Amino acid sequence: MKKSWLRDYIIKRLFYSVIIAWGILTITFVLVRAGPTSPADKYLANIAASGQDVSQVIASVEARYGVDKPILEQYADYMVNLFHGNWGWSFSTSMPVTELIKSHWIYSFQLILLSSLFAAILGILIGIYSAVKQYTKTDYIATFLSFIGISIPNFWLGVMLILVFSVKLGLFKTYYDTTLPLFSLANLHALILPIITLGTGMLAGYVRYTRSAMLDNLRKGFVTTARAKGLPERTVIGKHVFRNALLPLVTIIMFDLGSIVFGGAYLTEIVFGIPGLGQISFNAIFANDYPVVIAVTLIGTLLVLLVNLVTDITYTYLDPRIRYD
Amino acid sequence: MKKFETFVALPLILAILATGCANSEVEQAEGIFIEGQSGADAETLNWILAADATSSSYVGHTMDRLVTYDNELNIVLHCLARDIETSADGLVYTITIRDDLKWSNGSPVTAEDYVYTLKNLMFSDWLNYNYKGDWQEEVDGDTIFVTPEAINDTTFTITRQTVYPEFVYTIYDLMPYPKHIATKYEGDIEAFTQAPEFNNLTYTGNLGPYRFEEWTRNDKYVVERNPEYYLGKDIGAPYFDKYIVKLFGTSATRQAALEAGDITYTGIEPEQARKFRNLEHVKVYTIPSGACTLLAYNQRANGWDGLKKKPVRQALSMAISKETICQSILLGFAEPAFSFIPASSPWYDGENVVKYGVGSLYDKQKAAELLYQEGYGAIKGDETIKATNEDGSPLKLTLATSTGSQVSEDMAFQIKHELSDLGIEVEIKLIPWATLLRQYVMNTVPDANQQPAFNNGPEAASEKPWDLILMGFTSDLLAPSGSDVFYTTEGGLNFFGYSSAEVDKLFSRARSKEALDKGMRQQIYAELSHAISEEQPVDFLIFSRVNSGFQKNVMGIEPGISMGYNYYLWHFE
Repeated sequence: MKKSWLRDYIIKRLFYSVIIAWGILTITFVLVRAGPTSPADKYLANIAASGQDVSQVIASVEARYGVDKPILEQYADYMVNLFHGNWGWSFSTSMPVTELIKSHWIYSFQLILLSSLFAAILGILIGIYSAVKQYTKTDYIATFLSFIGISIPNFWLGVMLILVFSVKLGLFKTYYDTTLPLFSLANLHALILPIITLGTGMLAGYVRYTRSAMLDNLRKGFVTTARAKGLPERTVIGKHVFRNALLPLVTIIMFDLGSIVFGGAYLTEIVFGIPGLGQISFNAIFANDYPVVIAVTLIGTLLVLLVNLVTDITYTYLDPRIRYD
Repeated sequence: MKKFETFVALPLILAILATGCANSEVEQAEGIFIEGQSGADAETLNWILAADATSSSYVGHTMDRLVTYDNELNIVLHCLARDIETSADGLVYTITIRDDLKWSNGSPVTAEDYVYTLKNLMFSDWLNYNYKGDWQEEVDGDTIFVTPEAINDTTFTITRQTVYPEFVYTIYDLMPYPKHIATKYEGDIEAFTQAPEFNNLTYTGNLGPYRFEEWTRNDKYVVERNPEYYLGKDIGAPYFDKYIVKLFGTSATRQAALEAGDITYTGIEPEQARKFRNLEHVKVYTIPSGACTLLAYNQRANGWDGLKKKPVRQALSMAISKETICQSILLGFAEPAFSFIPASSPWYDGENVVKYGVGSLYDKQKAAELLYQEGYGAIKGDETIKATNEDGSPLKLTLATSTGSQVSEDMAFQIKHELSDLGIEVEIKLIPWATLLRQYVMNTVPDANQQPAFNNGPEAASEKPWDLILMGFTSDLLAPSGSDVFYTTEGGLNFFGYSSAEVDKLFSRARSKEALDKGMRQQIYAELSHAISEEQPVDFLIFSRVNSGFQKNVMGIEPGISMGYNYYLWHFE
């Protein structure tokens, strides 16, 4: 029975996702193209900076960038190409957009995945420990450190980590080395500082949320009942309290995942020289490289929609009482 | 609870273990030269389409131009067999290339490749080369291209119809495309733009010290040693197995990488120079550059009226201390500028320039008096002069500059501070470079249906009004007459609307047959420098000096203005 309504729900959500993605793609296209600057501007500015009169070449450069046609015609061309799997040519990097994304997504993916795991695992464990040991020295220290963790800008933290652990102690390279094999200890080693940089803020947040959610549940009657029944403390905490505290945590973790996909990872990529999608999209925005801007916006949108769907589905497993009409 | 603690500590233990395991793999950098750069990555390796300097520098590792210049700016032959011969009338240039230059398929690089590149690519309508203006001349009111012609396999000529003594420097920079590949894409700009041979530099043969290996966008550009390099094969050069350009998102991390020994070379910011000089493993070289920062005065209709008058421009320049900018903002790594020709150019004449903004010509009292004499000042109760508009109202000026440079922002605020002493209120606008160009620099005649350009004639004005624009330009040290585009009445980049019959005439003489005689050209440049420094169409503020930091074990470097000219001979100790 559950399977049937859940399947219908997923199909409906996927359908809505396609509509939303198309809407965002269209809005992005219009915003990028209708702005005060032209995608050819940076290119023309470079020509001008070298002392050349650009008036002779403006028309041909705009034709090469495909911005000489009416915007509706450009949009129609873009959509037709998109349906044929052609995301366009990136003028700021001189390669097809699909190839650009294919060769760079993995750097963002590994950073986001490992940082999220680092933050979620450590944050939840410290949060649980802190709640269970409420008002002890450990709890005070964890609470104090989590406030600091939330407050530190990750850009600053990254630079400080480099100065201490790379420059002073020589334990890490100052930048991420893309020649390292992905599934190797050397790669994991190279990612330690970026993971700490990106994960610290999230980790601190998870400590606070977990502690708070655990304390809420620890005070509830069913905990007293479980203890009165003589259940071992580990079972009470792990099976009864933590499971109930998990629902709001899943929401927060998934929300964080969505937000770092859209920007949080960018600063970490910049500091450690990781050529991920964050850096690619940021540079594309500054270069007015609209095929890349639209593609990464679309990918980000799809990821957020997917994460939201997965979150909703996860709820139904964590709390079987939840049902979507 | 012990298990909780163990579990929390596990990732940290793993991380420390990973640290220990990985160190041995990271330390294998012998023979690899790593240059650290921050800023935008290159746009393309298909160099004829490139508009950015990074693209050209990437390609430069794999292909030489006809010549390069040493630190005294003498030419050093590269692809040329001997120096270019110029006919007595200054119209025909005979270029003879080496006979041992080869493409990757083993076929020789011929004069025909160069001629084809010029005629069929650079001069073509379908490609519309960005810098085609360098190869054009005005003849009887028409703009025409020069005429290239192959004489034999290694010799070709370029014929002009008008004399331009410094045209030879344009030829020196020439690079060829392989005709046998380029013909496949001729006429189809999309196919040419996406041609894999040109985007992966698979054709460069023995033309450069390195061969293309890999380009990871926004990360690194890697070239490997070219054992066939025509200048190095007999001596085993170049001496690095690989040359890597590594991009950094910030200058702080780029400099940290040099300090940690992770990279071999990078530029050092002025505020970090002292620290790096004190590091044992780093050597810092400070060299002059042709990078000039100037303050343009808007003499067009939408600028403040006073700026059209020479004494007013002189007064403003007299109120801005160049030494303060050099010392306080650039910490001594700059020198005051007085004309468009830098002191490091062989054409510079320090005795003839008028030095506004230093010594006795940095004088706010005199500046105020000049403004008062021109009708732009009022005497206050304490007998001091305050700058005003002609009607006595408070004078407010708009200063626009581009975002992204702390030095430019600091300079803008310094100028605001200096001019406030005259009673002028300066509003600073920080604008992205491309927007600054489109809205403030490019201009059109009001109500005329014309394409915006940098100089659409004396009646044209920019979309947004401005009075002062702070921006940087690079002067050509060897061919300063190319700066006519900025300072002549019809110059294509004269966006500030300056016009002087005397300056127009002097630039015209510098580009004429008369200037074929170097002594005469020197004299013309001296007169030109004097005229422009006296007229102050812009306030030339500073020429920057550049700090380059190298690991101390890099040998063979000859510090100077053209430090990289022999970089294929650099090696590790």
